[in-house]
Amino acid sequence: MTSTRLLLNQTWAVAQRLLLEQWRQKRGLVFWAIFPATMMLLFGLVYANNINMRAGLDAAAAGILVGAALFFSCLGGTVAIIAAERERGTLLRLRTTPLRPSAYFFGVVLSQLVLALMQVVMLYSIALLMGVQYHGSLLLGGLILLLSVFSYVGMGFFLGVRFARRSEEVVVALSAIGVPILVLGGTFFPLEIMPQAMQSLAQLNPILHMNQAFKGVAAYGKNFVDLRFELIFLWGFSGLCLGLGIHAFQQLLETDKNA
Amino acid sequence: MTAALEITDVHKSFGKQKVLNGLSLRVEEGEIVGLLGPNGCGKSTVLNIIGQLLLPDAGQISLMGQALHPSNGKARSRVGFCAQRCALYPDLLPAEHLHFFGRLHGLTEKECQQRVAELMRTFSLNAFANTRVGQLSGGWQQRLHLAVALVHQPSVLVLDEPTAAVDVEARMELWRVIRDLRDRGTTVVFTSHHLAEAERLCTTVALMRNGKVAAQGSVAELLLRVPGQAVAKLQSEDHETITQRALLRGWTVRQHAGEMRLLLPHNLGLRDIIEALDGAKLTSLSVQPVGLDDAYLELLREDAM
Repeated sequence: MTSTRLLLNQTWAVAQRLLLEQWRQKRGLVFWAIFPATMMLLFGLVYANNINMRAGLDAAAAGILVGAALFFSCLGGTVAIIAAERERGTLLRLRTTPLRPSAYFFGVVLSQLVLALMQVVMLYSIALLMGVQYHGSLLLGGLILLLSVFSYVGMGFFLGVRFARRSEEVVVALSAIGVPILVLGGTFFPLEIMPQAMQSLAQLNPILHMNQAFKGVAAYGKNFVDLRFELIFLWGFSGLCLGLGIHAFQQLLETDKNA
Repeated sequence: MTAALEITDVHKSFGKQKVLNGLSLRVEEGEIVGLLGPNGCGKSTVLNIIGQLLLPDAGQISLMGQALHPSNGKARSRVGFCAQRCALYPDLLPAEHLHFFGRLHGLTEKECQQRVAELMRTFSLNAFANTRVGQLSGGWQQRLHLAVALVHQPSVLVLDEPTAAVDVEARMELWRVIRDLRDRGTTVVFTSHHLAEAERLCTTVALMRNGKVAAQGSVAELLLRVPGQAVAKLQSEDHETITQRALLRGWTVRQHAGEMRLLLPHNLGLRDIIEALDGAKLTSLSVQPVGLDDAYLELLREDAM
């Protein structure tokens, strides 16, 4: 088997295994669906029934998808995968195989992409029923979601390797680091209602740019040119996250080897 | 002749603690080699180095004449590693595990399916084909754990205390599987705390102490190094009298963990021993032919002197 074929084979095997495990954990899957659906219903009802806020309905759906649903499923899911592999001792077992760190990494990315796609379909089905409209290019929206998933999985690898040694630590790490980032990313409240200092600080938050990019295309129908700065930022950020994630994972394997 | 596995002067330290101190070991093709030794003597570290989970600080390891190194994927793929802890995915089925690891090892879909069917049959896992691994008993999980290590048909199988957490029945079944593997040409290296296990399974036993092999040979060869053919194990508070009378008869006297052991030149009956110890007060006495545990204690004692 050629080197590239082996890499693809391993990537697909990892993704398939993760999706199969996810499918078998029915309870987890239900909660995974309940969270964004509830958020959409709550925010949707608030926005749809308030005449002054109706304009925000389209943006709310985009914000919940990128800022909350994908954050918890892709970033949180990746941290949980790393913690579980460590806890069960399967990380050690994987190291006795010729599995390449990059194949493992992209296997996780692929599985998270499938889950993200399911969340997009589910959330937008609810949103469309509530009167939300998608205004922009589907291709551009897809690209932004793809880059967001790459970024979240990369961050998930980095945080998982550094901070989550046990499953219980995942919830704590996500709450401590994740929730403040989401609030500052304009996921729950519009940036405009925040104090000036918080607005300036929020500019450093990558989730704000993901939110703005997807809201831009989904709610306001902006195109590639309008969103060029957000897109450049997202390209750079997702590349950085991928690099950091793969490096952290490789380091984890090497550190253990010399320990 | 090329050895299946050759370890030469391997050193490994963890911080300031030296765990392997110039360990050398040669394993021929088709052998079952048991690594025995006290806790902390470096048994698991050797296996982890063979399994490529750890890198040695110095020394060489070769498999069928090829250097074992992270960059040498061919040599690496010849090793099947089974850690002490059963590392499995609780929500997957047994065949799904085998299939997953087969694909990581680069088997094609067709090869994978054939190998999975073969291993499911060999390890009698078909009865649990639809049971999630998390719901299997410890013994069955251990079997699957071992089967996963064999999915890529390694020539050397490395097992870290394979029967440590299983019941007697499962242990005997695993022994049968290991012997079958040997009969098919697989070389097996394992660690164990059960001397009886090593006695029944191994073609060669390597006794480790202080990070190196203190003695290596077949069970029969190691038994020849014990100064006696039978051992009388006794408990008494009259150590002095017993020692004097035993030495007068030319018997060797040893003490381990509060138990006196008299190494006898040939098998004697209980009555003969009691008569020979003439008047010494005994709480308990038993006599049996020397076994691997006697060789183990004797050789570790020699090495410590």
